Amino acid sequence: MATVSAKRSPSEYEVGLSKFRPLERILSYDDFDRGLNGWTELTGNYQQGKMAVSPGHERFSDLRPPMLSSATFPFVGTHGSMSGIYSLKLATRARAAGAGEEILRGSFSQCLKRLTFQELGLVQFEMWFTYKPEADRPGIGEDEFRAFGVLWDIQDDRYRYFPAVRYLNAANGVVKQKWQFAQAKPVSDKAWAGNFDTSISEDRKSAVGAKPGIDPQWFGRRYPDGSTEGFRDIAEGAQRLCYNETFDKINWHYLRFLVDSSRREYVELQCNERTYDLRGIQPTLADAYPRIWSLLNLALWVEADTNRRCFLFVDSAVISTGPSSTRPTRRKGRSR
Amino acid sequence: MRQIHTAVLERFGRFSQDFATEPYEVGWAEEAIFFVKIEEVEGAEPTLTGQVQISHDGMTWIDEGTSLPLIRQTGVVFARVRHFGNWLRLSCRVSGRDVKFQGMISLCLKG
Repeated sequence: MATVSAKRSPSEYEVGLSKFRPLERILSYDDFDRGLNGWTELTGNYQQGKMAVSPGHERFSDLRPPMLSSATFPFVGTHGSMSGIYSLKLATRARAAGAGEEILRGSFSQCLKRLTFQELGLVQFEMWFTYKPEADRPGIGEDEFRAFGVLWDIQDDRYRYFPAVRYLNAANGVVKQKWQFAQAKPVSDKAWAGNFDTSISEDRKSAVGAKPGIDPQWFGRRYPDGSTEGFRDIAEGAQRLCYNETFDKINWHYLRFLVDSSRREYVELQCNERTYDLRGIQPTLADAYPRIWSLLNLALWVEADTNRRCFLFVDSAVISTGPSSTRPTRRKGRSR
Repeated sequence: MRQIHTAVLERFGRFSQDFATEPYEVGWAEEAIFFVKIEEVEGAEPTLTGQVQISHDGMTWIDEGTSLPLIRQTGVVFARVRHFGNWLRLSCRVSGRDVKFQGMISLCLKG
């Protein structure tokens, strides 16, 4: 049997980085046994004249605070995390709108880490994660968990854009289990985000709404089959993750999402043994916003499909950057 | 150095009937304070009461024994608890005629 020699320093095992494949510069390595590490609930923007959320963000003003979870279930007891006890947990409320409707307040939970970049080039997010609906009723629940996703929010000198991937697990109770990437359909501003203001202008005297491509995780029309105007299916992107056989057996999965901010392009998505080539695909570019220059935010979200709470657990996560490489040969993702 | 974390459980909340905050995992913490900040009150004879509750599974809840001070007007009240296991929530009752409270509920944890 072939063997792989691994030269690892003892300290590398101690910190747990050996289960990641970071790029040259590690910006953050977050093991949630050491706290929430700056991951915080996404909150909307606020009006300038009163202490209230902008009208366009009212629907998204209950994205639920992340918590440190021991992954404790009624029959199993404490599952713990992949390494240690605690994981970052996102939890929806026990509610959901239909897959073809606007998301319902509380049915969608999102948290993020807010950074800025030092240079344009490759930007990578990695995490070990798992997901479940609440163990509060009979039924395995794999058809009640709608989706989770990973989203970059990047702004350079000209554009703001959102490279994002979404695992659509189920829509209206129908299991889908496939990956999608964010790229907005060419719709009007009004069709994308409604007539609502979401951000404050440069001079602070007026407010503006979101353009197509901004916040694709919730803007854009949604359809009963789980598709949206913000996302497209990844080619050969069907993947059956190990859900396990009950609502309380969790298995940890690896995800790696790589983009190139010097090209404003996707590069690849890896989940467990599968790698999806996304080179050459561009997210939707919107004109730059005031006040968020050199923005490098990474967000995670989870969506419920029924009135059953849905959870995303993250054992640990790494954000890293490196120089942009020359364009390599295209590789296809394998379908199962 | 110890960990500290404040989770906003209800933001710009509007409370016109009985409710409970969402389950929150607190197993890492040793002490907790629920803060309830009421910014607007409407209706006749408004009262808001709250009981701290604990749970072994995040789904089955029992009173811990600590109560919020009775709320009838705007202002801030708190309830302190220790030795609570893995889960905490605040179970609240709202009474009065055409009553609505508006405000925020935060959970400050240290451990």
